[in-house]
Amino acid sequence: MIPCTEFIPAYSELFAFLEESRGRDAVRDFWNYLSDTFLRTLRDLVAAHGIRGCWMYWNHTLNEEAADFTMELDEEAGEFSITMRRCPSKAMLLGLGHIEPYHDYCGHCDVLYRRVLEPLGYEYAYDMSETDRARCRLVVRRKPAL
Amino acid sequence: MARETVTRSAADNVYLHKDFHGALSAGIAYLESRYGAEAVRSYVRRFTVKYYAPLVQAIKDRGLSALRDHLQRIYALEGGRIKIDFAEEEMTLEVEECPAVAHMRAHGYPVAPLFHETSKTLYAALCEGTPFVSEWLRYDARTGRSAVRFRRSAP
Repeated sequence: MIPCTEFIPAYSELFAFLEESRGRDAVRDFWNYLSDTFLRTLRDLVAAHGIRGCWMYWNHTLNEEAADFTMELDEEAGEFSITMRRCPSKAMLLGLGHIEPYHDYCGHCDVLYRRVLEPLGYEYAYDMSETDRARCRLVVRRKPAL
Repeated sequence: MARETVTRSAADNVYLHKDFHGALSAGIAYLESRYGAEAVRSYVRRFTVKYYAPLVQAIKDRGLSALRDHLQRIYALEGGRIKIDFAEEEMTLEVEECPAVAHMRAHGYPVAPLFHETSKTLYAALCEGTPFVSEWLRYDARTGRSAVRFRRSAP
């Protein structure tokens, strides 16, 4: 069994396996598939509760992942954000001395969530400029009505 | 309309996100449907050889006790019910209920048809280059109940 605590390196290696055996597009295809099939909970929560659905979704996952973060919700402004001071997944990968993390590991967070949220009427901004230090920031905003 | 803020540090919570089993299962299902069963086994073997290289080295150095310690640790972490029959030359792991499969069944995550390869192929790969081999004895896809034997390979 691969314990859930060792899932992150398993996924990093899956991305690397796909890229090396099938090419970069294969990784993107997989991320799209994951977004469509595995993120139904996020999709359903946001569809039912609006921007608060983001809060409900990440409040569960980030706590179980023991992340170091600040999460903010402003329902009136239609904005939700996560400031990740130490992503447990990326920090784990960076801390492994004997395997190299997939070079675009954090890219999945951009693809998976954007693909769910944009069709629901939200802008998704993801700052990956400090992912080499396991830090990132994402902001979800309700698109203004036309 | 509410404004809310929450700040957490890593020390506030225990790192145990069992939904990751569902994500791994989705990955296994995708690999099989898109590229075939051999791709699943190739991926699991590759991951095992690379990620578990320190464990493989420990098995070479200390024998099956290194693998026993690893198995006891990960199943205890996840609350799995196991039984290990240990001897220096042979060890059998009986998993009475797989915590990964149990979590997925309880939370409605599909269990990939080849999810067992994350154990069967993994154990075979762990033995590569060591004096031991694994024998996959049985598996129940509904519960993940399984048995695997590790024994010293014939000279």
